[in-house]
Amino acid sequence: MSYPHGVDTPADRRGLHDRQGSAENPTATGADPDVMIRICGLRVLYGSFVAVDGLDLEIRRGELFGLLGPNGAGKSTTIRVLIGQRRPTAGRVTVAGHDVVREWARIKPLFGYVPDRENHFEEFTGRRNLEFFGELYGVPRLRVNAVLKMVELEEAADLPVRGYSLGMRKKLLLARALLHEPPVLYLDEPTANLDIHSAEVVHRILRERVRKGATVVLTTHDMDEVERICDRVGIVCRGKLVALDSPLHLRQAHTERKVDVIRSDGERLVFDMEQPASRAELAALLIRGEVASLRTREFDFHATFLKLTGQAFE
Amino acid sequence: MRGYILKALIVKEWQRHLANRGGVALAVLLVAAAGLLSVFAPAGESVAGATSPVGGVRHCFLEFDRKTPLIEHLEANRPPELKEQIIVRSLGAADTVDGLLVYPTGTAAIQIRQLPPGNSPSGRYTVSVSVWHPSGEPAALAPYETWLWKELRRAFRAQASERGVSLPPEPDFDPENHWLLIEAHKRFQEQVAGSGTAATSYEVPDLLVSRRGLGGKVLDLRSAMATGLIVFALYFSCVYLLPTLNCEERERGVLLAQALSPASPGEIVAAKLLFYPGFGIALAATLAAIYKTAILSSLFFWLAVVAVAGGFLGIGMTIATLARTQRAAFLGGMCYLLSVSMLLLICSMNRIPFLSWLAIEYHGPRILHAAVSGEVLWYHWYNLLGAFGLAAVWLIVAVWLFRRRGWQ
Repeated sequence: MSYPHGVDTPADRRGLHDRQGSAENPTATGADPDVMIRICGLRVLYGSFVAVDGLDLEIRRGELFGLLGPNGAGKSTTIRVLIGQRRPTAGRVTVAGHDVVREWARIKPLFGYVPDRENHFEEFTGRRNLEFFGELYGVPRLRVNAVLKMVELEEAADLPVRGYSLGMRKKLLLARALLHEPPVLYLDEPTANLDIHSAEVVHRILRERVRKGATVVLTTHDMDEVERICDRVGIVCRGKLVALDSPLHLRQAHTERKVDVIRSDGERLVFDMEQPASRAELAALLIRGEVASLRTREFDFHATFLKLTGQAFE
Repeated sequence: MRGYILKALIVKEWQRHLANRGGVALAVLLVAAAGLLSVFAPAGESVAGATSPVGGVRHCFLEFDRKTPLIEHLEANRPPELKEQIIVRSLGAADTVDGLLVYPTGTAAIQIRQLPPGNSPSGRYTVSVSVWHPSGEPAALAPYETWLWKELRRAFRAQASERGVSLPPEPDFDPENHWLLIEAHKRFQEQVAGSGTAATSYEVPDLLVSRRGLGGKVLDLRSAMATGLIVFALYFSCVYLLPTLNCEERERGVLLAQALSPASPGEIVAAKLLFYPGFGIALAATLAAIYKTAILSSLFFWLAVVAVAGGFLGIGMTIATLARTQRAAFLGGMCYLLSVSMLLLICSMNRIPFLSWLAIEYHGPRILHAAVSGEVLWYHWYNLLGAFGLAAVWLIVAVWLFRRRGWQ
């Protein structure tokens, strides 16, 4: 679903946009108490390879943030730093005011994590997987039933995970991340390999969590997904943040404002909506009824990405 | 350490084994093996003639050409300790290949042929005895030969008595066969005394022979096998199951999922360190109890089991830390086992001192065997001390590696 001009996005309604950075200056600064995740000068090296290169970012409470970029852009590495799996080479990351490296034990109960690669006990049933993690989090067993219902896995709950489809495994990951109702959710490509219905279920759950005040950070390749559910999106390329804005503003900023027209006599014309003269000429054509076909240019994410990064989106 | 988290992690390990069944199946097989050992070689029944678990003679065939009173005497007078091992049968019942008599590995044969005067080299009635021992082990039939020579003499003596021949008293049939030596020496003395003149007389001195055991015993096959099962149970649990299942969790990413939960790395490690040695010790105790229940009341046994389990745990943790994949962990365990086996073999064959002392596999089987057979000698306490020292070294190495590399 895309938001047409003039329609508020979820972020617009919550007034998030007036506090965000911009593509030209994506760095969000300031010690805002409403900030849930703060990344300052994050740099991560794998040997000599720079995975993340000086990333600065702030993500607020109750925000659904999308991290978008091609393979190897540094999205998953950033998530790994956020969950404490990877130590930053330089820079500082805090979640709810706690340093991820120094206060990892305090941060762990605050987040749920859906990795890009499913990691279940294959020999256990879906229910037993959740019960085990529920015991670690100290949540009652009733909660297991609730999350199974939430992700629509009730019927398969008592089957061994080794018999699950990819989609079911993904949903079980989400159920695990939701068990303890964490205030922060990290999702690494949560809808990859999901059918349309399952992806909708995931989106619905994420929106519900955000509505209840949780902060959600997801990485994805899918611009449509970002447009449908994210309040803000950060585009990363080669470890750097190249754009930071709402999907709507990105669309507005990077859609070519041109109209392709085919006249009644078959002639093809292009009108630039930025030019008053061009707009007037198009209006005149319409009034005279000489327009056989008219089409506005759509937002082309791949072209936009190419423009922003100088690199094709793979 | 939080109790509810440790409990959840330990229960998870147990349920994983129940679900995968492989580890539990092997444990059941070990228990079954111990049970079979207990049933088919009950305590107190030694395997006579078996000089080692791999060499020796399990059965000796006593084969005859004709069933005469001599053969009946031999058959009726088999000693109780060898009765199951001596199989009396006709030469015609033996297996043949291309006309040659063949015997299974681990067996030997004594063939008795009775030659009438016309067929013997001396022209008299002759009993021909052929002893076929395993190649390279002439002493393997010693207990059987001791019995044979004694009973042959008794049979001939009985036949002579029946015909009214007056005989001197029977020699003292001692188990070391001294009577044969003494009779041969007396015969030589008589020959010398009978052939000499007054001028050249020489009196051959008497011969007094003494031969005794050193006090040690030949390795008891049953206790050796029970020890082997116990050592394997501990090795299997700590050096095989711990690294492979741990690396499998890491490979699948489940270890990461646990690490990201409120369970601390210390609690995750502690649960594994409690479960796997615990499992191994419980299995070892079960195997020992099947062999001899009284072992469980021996302090030395428990100390030995804890020392060996601790050492194997350190080795298992080291492999788990160094290996990245389940396959690497499995191969790591195998390579370790082969390396240590080679080291111990080379040291043993070349009499290289000290080096083998550095392997817990040198001390472990010794102290466990001493505990199992109930023969704890003073030097076994040094072995126990060595095992504890090596266990401490391995655990320190494992913890150091874990702190440096972790399990991620």
